[in-house]
Amino acid sequence: MKKKTIGFILVVSLVIFSSFSFGQDLLIKNGTILTVTKGKILKGDILIIKGIIKQIEENIKGPKGIKIIDASGKFVIPGIIDSHTHIALSGTNENAEAITAEVKMRDVLNAEDRSIYTAISGGVTMVHTMHGSSNPIGGENIVIKTKWGKTSEEMIVHDAYRTLKFALGENPKRSNSPTLGTPRYPQSRMGVNAIIRREFLKAKNYMEQWDRYLKAKNSKKPAKNLIAPRKDLRMEQLADVLRGKMVARCHTYRADETLEFIKLSKEFGFKIACFEHASEAFKIARELAEEKIGISVFLDSWAYKVEASEGIAYSAGYCTKKGVLVSINSDSGERIRRLFNDAAKAMKYGGLSEEEALNLVTINPAIQLGVEKIAGSLEVGKHGDIAIFNEHPLSAYTLCEMTIIEGEVYFDRAQYLKEREEMEKKKKKEEKKKEKKGGTK
Amino acid sequence: MKIKKNLLFICLFVVILLFTATSSARVTPTYAIVNCKIIPVTGSPIEKGIIIIRDGLIESLGPQGKISIPEDAEIIKAEGLFAYPGLIDAHTNLFLELPKEEPRRPGTRRTSAAEPRQKEKAQHPDLMAIKFLKPKKTAVADLHKIGITTVLVVPGRGIYSGQSVLLNVNGNKAAPMVIKTPVALHVNFTTARGTYPSSLMGTMAFLRQSFLDTEHYSSYKSQFAKSSRGLKRPEYNPFLEALSPYVVKKNPVFFNCANLEDIKRALGLIKEFKLNGFLTGSNEAWRVADLLIKNAKVPLLVSLNFKPPMTSIYVNQGEELKKKAEEEIYPANAANLHKKRLMFALTSQGLKKPSDIPKNVQKAIKAGLPKEEALKAMTIIPAKFLGVSSFLGSLEPGKIANIILTSGEIFDEKTRVERVFVDGISFEIKKPPKGEKPTKVNIAGKWSATVSSPMGELETILELEQDGNEISGSISSNMGKWEIIEGILSGNELALSIEATIMGETMDMTFSGTAENDSIEGTMAVMEWSMELKAKRIPEGEF
Repeated sequence: MKKKTIGFILVVSLVIFSSFSFGQDLLIKNGTILTVTKGKILKGDILIIKGIIKQIEENIKGPKGIKIIDASGKFVIPGIIDSHTHIALSGTNENAEAITAEVKMRDVLNAEDRSIYTAISGGVTMVHTMHGSSNPIGGENIVIKTKWGKTSEEMIVHDAYRTLKFALGENPKRSNSPTLGTPRYPQSRMGVNAIIRREFLKAKNYMEQWDRYLKAKNSKKPAKNLIAPRKDLRMEQLADVLRGKMVARCHTYRADETLEFIKLSKEFGFKIACFEHASEAFKIARELAEEKIGISVFLDSWAYKVEASEGIAYSAGYCTKKGVLVSINSDSGERIRRLFNDAAKAMKYGGLSEEEALNLVTINPAIQLGVEKIAGSLEVGKHGDIAIFNEHPLSAYTLCEMTIIEGEVYFDRAQYLKEREEMEKKKKKEEKKKEKKGGTK
Repeated sequence: MKIKKNLLFICLFVVILLFTATSSARVTPTYAIVNCKIIPVTGSPIEKGIIIIRDGLIESLGPQGKISIPEDAEIIKAEGLFAYPGLIDAHTNLFLELPKEEPRRPGTRRTSAAEPRQKEKAQHPDLMAIKFLKPKKTAVADLHKIGITTVLVVPGRGIYSGQSVLLNVNGNKAAPMVIKTPVALHVNFTTARGTYPSSLMGTMAFLRQSFLDTEHYSSYKSQFAKSSRGLKRPEYNPFLEALSPYVVKKNPVFFNCANLEDIKRALGLIKEFKLNGFLTGSNEAWRVADLLIKNAKVPLLVSLNFKPPMTSIYVNQGEELKKKAEEEIYPANAANLHKKRLMFALTSQGLKKPSDIPKNVQKAIKAGLPKEEALKAMTIIPAKFLGVSSFLGSLEPGKIANIILTSGEIFDEKTRVERVFVDGISFEIKKPPKGEKPTKVNIAGKWSATVSSPMGELETILELEQDGNEISGSISSNMGKWEIIEGILSGNELALSIEATIMGETMDMTFSGTAENDSIEGTMAVMEWSMELKAKRIPEGEF
């Protein structure tokens, strides 16, 4: 019953939103603004023009006719960013082979995944939606904004890093998938490391092959029968990693394999933007901080499999204090709506300050994704991506009331509840009518 | 003893075959269809007109009085009937019998350092639909009954499912039907199940890589042809050979689009590789209408299948919305596209049976598609898309005589197709017998029947299905399984017409007799021969 009503509302809102164009004007008044990077304003306004924040001050008078949202008594924060999830996709893994750098999440975006709506109900405005962890080298991930009702193209964040998924440990060696039938190389941690090295060596060869060809082609007297090498999309992707055009995002659990991967990155000279899950990160916090490699973690989930057995809830807080750039991810279309709860836990476990805790789901993931110039905090010039909470976002009693992307309201809890109630009333009426009709027969 | 009897039986049929062989040569008489309302599609309608058919072509057409009827013409009185060009279904898999795919052996998943990718084996761009045609008389009759005279037969399995063939449905032999082969290469956004690519994202990468490889292969080959000295001989690759005409020479590539994202994927690939791309399926096309307007050069073949795709926002949100989508929202696809002035053909892709086509066209019309647009979308537009509009798709002198005569306006609920001409060959559509008595007899089930002829007895099994008065099913014996094309049970009188295939030849057989709940008796007739048939019901559970 309830499910159906929700369905109707989702469809209705989808149709309404699809009629708007990019970036809107909006004035948010009288909220407690947690800017994240520029401190707190107890009672302030935010002016958004054409999707961009123009002013953050007290008592802003917006242009005539601008849409105004009264945020009195409420908390206004930058839209939450999820550094690692798999929503809005048709498929997560290409697991027929171990190395599939050529596949792109861009190709399989599904703008109608309901998890997008779940995400905005929890104040999330941007996500890094990724290839799964079944392969040592997976595919190219993508950063999108959760613009429910917009087309998949309109959701893509073009300013973000291009990232390639790597995975170490149990998942790529498939120790947890005995039902998958025949074994696939690699079957061990050493195998995972070896196959990644092998692919990078291949990619280097591939690049040299092209360099030789281009050199010959551009020489003064090019050979007569010069033919371009075969273009290999798998190698092209790895070459882009080696050229620094793409960064690595690596799924890992154990400290040893994490360190091995850092060594590998030094051997080939590519950049690791972030380690995913990294449940033993606290053991190597110094190394991570030195290498300036971030981690994207669950706050308090561990021991759900052997390689996660040594995880601790204090890791995010501890690593933050050691200078590691930490973000908290959902890795899920459900947990995604309560990332602020997870952030709050870092205050209890790990002793982070309010500000540090909020960073874990705003500016830190923004830096990890290379979008800190447009998102992650409330600053003039950044995108008007905002979440409004009824209480402090780190309070256990808080609720996200409104989610705004580029000045456009995508989620409005009051409106949603009203619509749902109306739908249910209407439905009950119809059902009663039906019953009456049935009765007279 | 039994074997001998069967041998005798075969002898009987050989004699029959000798008789039929002489009469099988095709003659297309000259016809004059008089007194009908002509809807040429490309010109204005003619209220009382005459169409002259000669040598399989439309010799002339026009209003009565302006067209003289040749002396040798057989006159077909069509008072009160409408004449339309035969309908074209530009996406069907009717008539196709593809070999069964080998089940995946355990062990094929392994991908080791030494093992090359097996993608070539998983896909078959070189599969030619024409090689797997098995036209059945029943299927032909089903098409004629709804006015379809031309079909594009598309092989349907795999990412590269193969190359299609365009047929004029003028009988039940494959070769004389062929208009064009191959017509297009067909691409599905599916996976190779178990082997690479096993996911949609993998399929996209696979498609791109195969287009790139084809380009590379082809340029290497042409370079080698130009000056081979110092160049290694290019290794022959059947997979890339099959793709070359489509990737390099830009023959049509049909992308089957199950949802709106597929349409974007297809348009992306068409643009990236400068393909001569077509969109098929596309029952969510209206949702990306603006994008389609920008890509107006890409022909759009919209399916009459109104089932919302799994990715749709309209499914997974409760049965009610799903039902509404299937009954109201998706049938309006064509109407919405027309409102945006997009040109499209309508196809039966994804429909279970031909009889769903008129039903769904009616639904599309009810949802706002103008009737004349629906007609164009199944005549001149697909003809243009398929490059055959110079000789098909409308009623014009000099074009192929694919004509249907209907009892009323086409796509009206009560309208019946009375007669079709395909390549000038006339096919009369049998009327359902009128005045039939309601029957209380139920003969559905399995029967054991003995056919006795002067030359011996043949044991057969009847498998019958009953829907009111209509009987369908088959008769099987050690000579094969024969289909019942038409069967009527009126009171306890049973009449069947059977398509029998004996030693590769098909011939018509009829049965007439009486039926009770537990017995059937009567006479089988083929040519001038007749045989007695007696059948007993096989109780359920036996056999």
